[in-house]
Amino acid sequence: MSTTFDLAIIGGGPAGYVAAERAGHKGLKVVLIEKSELGGVCLNEGCIPTKTLLYSAKLYDNALAGSKYGIETKEVTFDFSKMMARKQKVVKKLVGGVGLKMKEHHVEVIKSEAYIKGRSAAGIEILAGTTTVLATNLLICTGSEAFLPPIPGLGAPGDLILTNREILDLKQRPESLVIIGGGVIGLEFASFFNSLGTKVTIVEMLDEILTGMDREMSEMLRQVYAKKGIVFNLSAKVTEVKGNEVIFEKNGKKESVSGEKILVSVGRKANTTGFGLENLGVETYRGGIKVDEKMRTNVPNVFAAGDVTGFSLLAHTASREGEVVVNNLTGRADRMRYNAIPGVVYTNPEFSGVGLTEEAAKAQNIEYRVAKLPLAYAGRFIAENEGGIGLSKVLVGAKYGEILGVHILGNPSGEIIYGAAMAIEMEMTLKEMEEVVFPHPTVSEIFKETIFAF
Amino acid sequence: MATVVIMPKQGQSVESCIITEWNKKKGDKVTKGEILFAYETDKASFEEESDLDGFLLDLFYEVGDEVPVLTNVCVIGELGEPTDTFRPGGAVPKGESIPETAVVSEKPSIKSEESTNAVVASVVASGFVSPRAKNLAEKEGLSLEAVKGSGPKGRIIEEDVLSVLASTPKITPLAKIVAGQEQLQASATGSGLGGSVKAKDLTVPNPVYSNDFEIKKLTNIRKLIAKAMHNSLQNSAQLTHHLGADARRMLELRKKVKKANDGGYLVNITLNDMVCFAVVKALKKFPQANAHFLGDSVKYFNKIHLGVAVDTDRGLMVPVIRNADDLSIQGLSNQLKEVAASCRKGSVNPELLSSEAASFTISNLGNYGVEMFTPVINLPQVGILGVNTIVPRPKDLGDGVYAFVPFIGLSLTYDHQALDGGEATRFLKQIAIEIENLEFEL
Repeated sequence: MSTTFDLAIIGGGPAGYVAAERAGHKGLKVVLIEKSELGGVCLNEGCIPTKTLLYSAKLYDNALAGSKYGIETKEVTFDFSKMMARKQKVVKKLVGGVGLKMKEHHVEVIKSEAYIKGRSAAGIEILAGTTTVLATNLLICTGSEAFLPPIPGLGAPGDLILTNREILDLKQRPESLVIIGGGVIGLEFASFFNSLGTKVTIVEMLDEILTGMDREMSEMLRQVYAKKGIVFNLSAKVTEVKGNEVIFEKNGKKESVSGEKILVSVGRKANTTGFGLENLGVETYRGGIKVDEKMRTNVPNVFAAGDVTGFSLLAHTASREGEVVVNNLTGRADRMRYNAIPGVVYTNPEFSGVGLTEEAAKAQNIEYRVAKLPLAYAGRFIAENEGGIGLSKVLVGAKYGEILGVHILGNPSGEIIYGAAMAIEMEMTLKEMEEVVFPHPTVSEIFKETIFAF
Repeated sequence: MATVVIMPKQGQSVESCIITEWNKKKGDKVTKGEILFAYETDKASFEEESDLDGFLLDLFYEVGDEVPVLTNVCVIGELGEPTDTFRPGGAVPKGESIPETAVVSEKPSIKSEESTNAVVASVVASGFVSPRAKNLAEKEGLSLEAVKGSGPKGRIIEEDVLSVLASTPKITPLAKIVAGQEQLQASATGSGLGGSVKAKDLTVPNPVYSNDFEIKKLTNIRKLIAKAMHNSLQNSAQLTHHLGADARRMLELRKKVKKANDGGYLVNITLNDMVCFAVVKALKKFPQANAHFLGDSVKYFNKIHLGVAVDTDRGLMVPVIRNADDLSIQGLSNQLKEVAASCRKGSVNPELLSSEAASFTISNLGNYGVEMFTPVINLPQVGILGVNTIVPRPKDLGDGVYAFVPFIGLSLTYDHQALDGGEATRFLKQIAIEIENLEFEL
């Protein structure tokens, strides 16, 4: 019989590999079971590859716009296959990096499917390929996969129907692309292909894109992209897919749009089946594994982190959840908080937010005050964004002025927003924020300016 | 003639006392025996009485001041007499002519924020803080005002500073404001970053050193229950017998009732109704249990007036069903539901609640899963039956066959003044027999 591990982790994505790294660092004996590549969706078919491609697109955009800044270029072209190859290189490098980290922290990595057999007095028994692993604690981070809605005629993902996975393996740029679902994933791919000249149409069921983000800025961003040529169909419910044709109902009328490819990005569903979860009697809730604030499931010694919980499907949420598990296992009381998790949409301009939106505050009957400023109040923004638009919005509690939410549309808001997350985590009020020094000239100063706009 | 009052020396080792309360103000009339002020040593507190009549002409120390023993504290005499000659060297002169602010500024006040450093400096100068403690406090921005010294002569040592730091919760700026404005308090750790206390972690203070309880007057119904229950245990010789009855018959009947209900039958006869019905039948056969014990006589009832304990929001109520022996099980069932509902609504006729009105009482805790209890008799009744939950028990079914059979527990409390053990047991057994052989038509 093999030795008993302190912690077995199923799934090597941002929840699993971060938990493995932290636990290994603290001296736990850790085994990480991953059926595919380390890094999960994030590194292999999500965050990292898309950001790599979006950066290429942004460079291309900037090259085309060079004359605004006094840069004259001859003919600017792009090479789609080179972009894809570079993306592959970046992914490989980062995945390799994760592998090295696992070695560094003495984490045993088993590349295989995992199957939970059950538990005995000796511990939790997991079948990893041909090896049986015994562990005192189990962390489930099996992630999520693209959800394919039951639309008549919508076939399995492949050559025509794409999810985030297939679209990253395209050999050439499609002439036209129909995107079902105007959320973060849909919009980022829309942005990328729009930059490369693909005719992009978005079909969104709700009346605005980017549900959950600040509505006013979502609308601004939509108008930016509408000008760039993306066609938006809002409040449009897809009723059928006929070959290349997506048929939808909008304002009671049937309409249709065709595309060389069809991207389905309507949401994701947690992976809770196929690995023996039922053998431990782990409860699920709304499709995900039910957890408490310490990421404990209903079964003692069994934890879950990341997309498999079915909410806040973000890599940084997953990593933090994994850390919460490890902290509690190693004697540091810790709990997961979801009120200050930043969200970034890597469009051009970038769109970031953390904390409450006005819409959420209203829905929860939280009394707030709001201040807004155009990004043009930040000198560096003007310097670097010729003709660019942007908006900064800060929400504070009506009574005490504590920072409730910060939303910024404009580049590079994704690099700024963590400061706002800290302010929310620390429950700072306007008074404390006013005393913080921001570097000048930076776009981050817009946060400070908006604080002083109250 | 003006007479000075000094701080008494309470014990050999006491060098100073702290004034904790002034009962008189400057200018107040004082009579002999009245308490002038209260003070305490590190071990005990005392009150100082005036031993003469007069007016409190002047007081040299305030509440909270530490006064060396045998030092002049105040002066009593006739209005207008000078007092300055009595003023002790270290005390601050206090009079209408000197504005309050001046007084404050002359005292080494530790109240105002700005003066904190000065205090540290002065305390340090007098040697009451160890250099390590001082450095640590300065580094952590901790005011030494909050630190109690544990070293020799109350000297603040590093450990004292560390323990204050350890017990000071990390608190977010918002939580700080909210705590101040809404009089909430922070616990040692919270749900925020690194265990910091967030606004939502704040709680209503529950000061251990003052009231952590609340005294409420009894409601009238509580008073009555208290009196009756206490009276019962004081004035009777009560004890309880426990016995189980085979509940198979009852459960079978209950099934039939449910089925009939589904078919439109209107009376939902419950297990409790059946037990009550069985008790009425048993009481008919044991009139000595259907009685009131009156000390020198016993009142035997011809009819059965069945009291039933009902749990309500306002407390326990025991309404009576008069002439229960005249009722069919359907009638009994309806009446039981009616009185229970009117008790809960508060509309029950008070006459039905008197313990004299009932000849015997039933209290059913079976619903709550109680397996055995000792109900308390409603005097002057001689008995009360506690009904328990149904539990499976092994039973000899004959021919060496044992099986688990549902049994309902019965707990009979009786007044040994009125009934003997044998009678009580036979009566209890009779109830079991009635339950086991229950018959009724739907």
